[in-house]
Amino acid sequence: MARKILLVDDEAGFTQLLKMNLEKSGDFEVTIENDSMKAITTARSLQPDIVLLDVVMPGMDGGDVQAQFQSDSTLTNVPVIMLTALVDSAELSDGAVAQSGSSIVLPKPVDLPLLLRVIDEATGEA
Amino acid sequence: MEPLSLVESVLDNLPVAVFAKDANDDFRFVLWNKKQEQITTVKASKAVGRDDYDLFSEESADYFRSVDKAVLKRGKLLKVPEEIIEGKDGQDIHLRTVKIPVIEEETGRRLVVGISEDITEQVQARAKMESLNKNLLETNRELQETQLQLIQAEKLESIGRLAAGVAHEVKNPLALLLLGVDYLSDGIDPDDPNVDTILKQMREAVDRADRIVRGLVDFSSQRALTREPVKLHAVIDEVLLLVKHELTRSNTTVTVEVPDDLPHVFLDLSKFEQVVINLVINAVHAMSESKKPTLQIKAHSKKLDGVVKNQGARKYEVFRSGDPVVILELIDNGCGIESADATRLFDPFFTTKATGVGTGLGLSVARKIVQLHGGELQVIDRSDKKGAIAKLILPTKIDTGKVPVSSKSSK
Ligand SMILES: Nc1ncnc2c1ncn2[C@@H]1O[C@H](COP(=O)(O)OP(=O)(O)OP(=O)(O)O)[C@@H](O)[C@H]1O
Ligand SMILES: [Mg+2]
Repeated sequence: MARKILLVDDEAGFTQLLKMNLEKSGDFEVTIENDSMKAITTARSLQPDIVLLDVVMPGMDGGDVQAQFQSDSTLTNVPVIMLTALVDSAELSDGAVAQSGSSIVLPKPVDLPLLLRVIDEATGEA
Repeated sequence: MEPLSLVESVLDNLPVAVFAKDANDDFRFVLWNKKQEQITTVKASKAVGRDDYDLFSEESADYFRSVDKAVLKRGKLLKVPEEIIEGKDGQDIHLRTVKIPVIEEETGRRLVVGISEDITEQVQARAKMESLNKNLLETNRELQETQLQLIQAEKLESIGRLAAGVAHEVKNPLALLLLGVDYLSDGIDPDDPNVDTILKQMREAVDRADRIVRGLVDFSSQRALTREPVKLHAVIDEVLLLVKHELTRSNTTVTVEVPDDLPHVFLDLSKFEQVVINLVINAVHAMSESKKPTLQIKAHSKKLDGVVKNQGARKYEVFRSGDPVVILELIDNGCGIESADATRLFDPFFTTKATGVGTGLGLSVARKIVQLHGGELQVIDRSDKKGAIAKLILPTKIDTGKVPVSSKSSK
């Protein structure tokens, strides 16, 4: 069965291309959410196997979104991968990533093979 | 008291030097009054009966003789506005002299009569004035150079602070490009509908990265102040691109109401961007505690009815009644301005921010730049609700404003 991925990032072009790449490389069904405010609603109805989450977004940032996921009983165990065009370490300690103790953080630009490997590990498909 | 003729006593009490030479007797002196004694420090008893070569250097004597001959030849009065003789301690004495050709009634002798006024003090005062003026111009030029350097230094500071955000904004298109390359490098299937989309996205990504990098490079360039007609809208767009990351991170909503048909403003693009960036970053900082940070950027044009008076420097009172101006306002809903701080905002190094966050130079430099453009910058507390308004009044005519590109003396 195809694994369901929720991709939350405000960059529409980026999400579109990442979806194309993921669906081409594996048995995935990728849902895009460009509005971080709606991420929780989308996630509740989708019940994804894994979430890819951008850190810096308008509205709510990645940290806020993840906090929402964690306090939702149906989503709290869904693995989350943070994607960030990380430039300074300040951004890490800024909250988003620091709060999300167990999360996996991957830098943008995304190394596709690495991302696929991490997704496999996180969803127990390795 | 020695009895003197009327003429002799008048001559000796004149405040000017008077002498006469006999052209028929090798230009020997026949008259040498008291003032002439004082100026030359040569007594009349020594001078009368001698000529210029006996009393002065050969060079001076040659000169005096040539003037004397010219006077006789013309048969008319000759003015020598300034001549220099050597005084007692070797100092120069400056004289203004008239020489008059005279034929003596009783004897028929041809005389050259000279009347000299000592203008040494005037000349010295004038030289002093000139050098003072030169110093003043030089100081002024240095001051303007220092100002431009200060502006550049402050700009480098804000580039440093923007750099992380700008790099972030460039990484996004790079991430997209890499995804495109990854997708296409597996081999291109001509029937795959994704390929078109991917190529289009990749092209847009390159444009975007290019625009933002170019924006930063333009902004960092150090040039003398060069003003050109600029559309305000273009400036605002460019600035928002450079501070996009700061705005996103702080969750700031920006609304821009800058009509397209505003008159052009005459600005130095890069320096003016510096002003607006500073104001935007100030607003972002001020709104860090606000629930819904909102920055409104508005502009309109109008004709000034009253003359805007700048409390600061009188020389910048450049607006005249009826001048068309563009008014740009940045309205935030941040902490606003404490009335105690209102008068100090523009003081260099006045800051309420932590070290490393603010140096307190932003507004003072911003005002300097705006004034160099002949404009005015105010930052005031909002009256309708919590927040502050930064208001810029900008000239739409090129002749407004003092542009310190080259300072020339008006000679
Ligand atoms: N929009 C605003 N709302 C409230 N206070 C402001 C606003 N803009 C400026 N200020 C106040 O004015 C002070 C001086 O601003 P200025 O831009 O000169 O320096 P700074 O922002 O502290 O440091 P720098 O600009 O050098 O990084 C600020 O520290 C802040 O207290
Ligand atoms: Mg500032």
